[in-house]
Amino acid sequence: MIVTTARLALLTLILALGVAAPAVAQLAGTLVVGLVAEPVNLDPAQVTDLNSNRVGRRIAETLVTFPEESTQIVPGLAESWVVSKDGLRYAFKLRKGVSFHDGTPLDAEAVKFSIDRQINPEHPFNKLGKYPFANFFFGNIKAVEVVDPLTVEFVLKEPRASFLAVLTAGAASIVSPTAVRKYGQDYALTPVGTGPFKYASWDRGQRVVLEKNPSYWRFPLKLDRIIYRPIVEDQARLTELLTGALDLIVGTPPDYVGQLEANPKVTLLKQVGAHVWYLGINNQKKPYDDKRVRQALNYAVNKDAIVRDVLKGTGSLSVGPVLPKTWGADGGLKPYPYDPERAKKLLAEAGYPGGFTTTLWVPESGSGMQSPVAMSTVIQSNLKAVGVNVSLQTMEWGAYLAKLRSKEQELFALSWMAGTEDPDMVMYPLLHSSQWTPNGPNRALYKNEKFDEILHQARLTTDEKKRADLYRQAQRILVDDAPWIFIDHEIQTAAHAKRVQGFKLHPSFDLRIETISQR
Amino acid sequence: MRRYLARRLLLLVPVLAGVSIVIFMVLHLSPGDPVEIMLGSQATQEDRARLRADLGLDQPLHVQYVRWLGHVVRGDLGRSLWMKRPVLAEVLGRFKATLILTGTALVLSTVVGIALGVASASRPHSVLDRTSTVASLFGASMPSFWLGIVLMVVFALRLGWLPASGMYAPYGGGDLRDLLAHLVLPAVTLAAASVTIVARLTRAAMLETLSQDYIRTARAKGMVERRVVLRHGLKNALIPIVTVIGVQAGYLLGGAVLTETVFAWPGVGTLMVQGILARDFPLVQGCVLVVALSFVLVNLAVDLLYAWLDPRIRYE
Repeated sequence: MIVTTARLALLTLILALGVAAPAVAQLAGTLVVGLVAEPVNLDPAQVTDLNSNRVGRRIAETLVTFPEESTQIVPGLAESWVVSKDGLRYAFKLRKGVSFHDGTPLDAEAVKFSIDRQINPEHPFNKLGKYPFANFFFGNIKAVEVVDPLTVEFVLKEPRASFLAVLTAGAASIVSPTAVRKYGQDYALTPVGTGPFKYASWDRGQRVVLEKNPSYWRFPLKLDRIIYRPIVEDQARLTELLTGALDLIVGTPPDYVGQLEANPKVTLLKQVGAHVWYLGINNQKKPYDDKRVRQALNYAVNKDAIVRDVLKGTGSLSVGPVLPKTWGADGGLKPYPYDPERAKKLLAEAGYPGGFTTTLWVPESGSGMQSPVAMSTVIQSNLKAVGVNVSLQTMEWGAYLAKLRSKEQELFALSWMAGTEDPDMVMYPLLHSSQWTPNGPNRALYKNEKFDEILHQARLTTDEKKRADLYRQAQRILVDDAPWIFIDHEIQTAAHAKRVQGFKLHPSFDLRIETISQR
Repeated sequence: MRRYLARRLLLLVPVLAGVSIVIFMVLHLSPGDPVEIMLGSQATQEDRARLRADLGLDQPLHVQYVRWLGHVVRGDLGRSLWMKRPVLAEVLGRFKATLILTGTALVLSTVVGIALGVASASRPHSVLDRTSTVASLFGASMPSFWLGIVLMVVFALRLGWLPASGMYAPYGGGDLRDLLAHLVLPAVTLAAASVTIVARLTRAAMLETLSQDYIRTARAKGMVERRVVLRHGLKNALIPIVTVIGVQAGYLLGGAVLTETVFAWPGVGTLMVQGILARDFPLVQGCVLVVALSFVLVNLAVDLLYAWLDPRIRYE
């Protein structure tokens, strides 16, 4: 009987293994994507996380959008637009003949409805959701007016040249008013838009399934179905890709990059994103109110080593907040070189020949934070080499953000995902003095009147060339003022099976799988 | 018996109330604010204040607790802050997957653990006994997330025998065979530590029982050894074993959190991790409440099992 029990156990195990042998028969036209976490909610106006955004943008679209490889503005659901001379009125002509997945035609009313439900507390559907970024994105909108069925006009409270970039945000997606009325609070679970794919089903914790929109207005689709699977564990996601159970994964951890590059079964993609990772300095606190000290810190940190050894090449050196090689970037600027001697000299000039002691706050993790603790540890040892003794304090993300509003910070690690290359979307919030925390995200408490004025002028100027000139001036001021230690722009990674064709990573961090075909 | 059962079931109320207060306090007093986490670094002060008021988080803690409790007694666990979905439906929807995983792991650890323990005790210091001692030490000291990843690399990545994650194939599957294939790795991972504990305890309990006089008598009567070990030995050693299995059931429910995360198993564990990371108070409270309830019920079942195993035990 003992023997029987043991045998039984063994038999169970063999049986269990026998049922195994995973059947990875690929279904033509179906793409399986591994996400790092489950989408939370698919109402674009309520989305706050990248995974939901990456799925939701397949379903609902915006008036203006980005082309394949950049974040310049191109027509989306609006085929053209006119901006009034004073920069206060934006009139959009909508594309004719586009309809939502439920058959509702796309018209000016739908556009008005999509924005009004977020910004107008009196709107009948305002109370059905929480619109976290309504103020950040749309606080400047006075009214949305229906001119005729295919023309809609946005009236602004004050001019803002980056308004078109604002309208590329996920929250500015146009949703089917019929569906919102029908589903109410549950619209977030049954989203309806005009996008290349329509929502099909969602098994919690397992998969979100989208199906092809056969009458998509932009181009015919080659995929029939996308299945998104949330797989939190890196090794599991990687294994599923290598065994053929997944076609595409995003967010490969730096340590796996080499392994994937060497693997003949998969293709690894890299693309620098509209993101910036910086080490903020409290510009108002001693000794950081002295520009020479801030510059010294920039010379002291070995950014190359961080990108090479910690990020394994998944970062591109930064010279400031603006993404290099975009229209607003100043191509003539060079990152601060690694020069500890120069750093020591500057510190001595500023009156700190023996260095000083300071604290560096670091979140354990957070959206867009790459490898915050490892990166900060390198920075800590670099600074120690020039006499600056840094004590590292790691915190949980939410607690960290709250603590930064105390204005007690000395040094702090932070990042920003603008998702667009428009310099206004990163420079203004992070560095204009009107945006000092807690009113805005300028947590370095940086203030330079000339810089402020240039940014303000750039908002009033609609001519892109003139704006670019202004932003270049602003960037030169920043490099000299060194309000942060400039570190890197994240290089996003994705890996896919060889049979996947036609996929490109996008600088906005979107995951545009509608361009994919399978071999 | 019936009165005992009623009393035990009534005791559930204070136990669950205690659990809910503890979890409420731990969540609200630990650093991290759902509003900060949801809105990230881009939010404005007004956005934060508005969302905090919308979610009722601007109220004092005791007001929030009483309000939550008021809903719970009416069977409403609230809506998840993040997902905006009703918590009860969400948790129950995930509970089935957790039950399948922990149930399988429990059966696995009971069957394999008792078999190993009995075999070791009936031939103490044999090769089998020594091997199982070493294996137990190994099994008990391996963290499950590590073991899970090792098993995944070996059986999914290298050998390609088993799928690496999830509960069903993304498409085409959905039958029992598909489920079993996906169940093997997480169930073995989850059961590993419990198997060793059950095996060690069974061995100790059996050794003690087998040294009793009545066993010698049974052998002297010429009874077959297998019958001596199982009928006279195991049956009398079962009480401590059942106790430990009951404890293991609770341990497995808790351990499922890690295992589910490693293997993307769509149970309450993955949901709870998601909830904790987002400081989604109603969601985490709902998950903990359901897990605590099942733990208490398992313990009750174990207590009732004693009477069946040993007729001398009676409940008043």
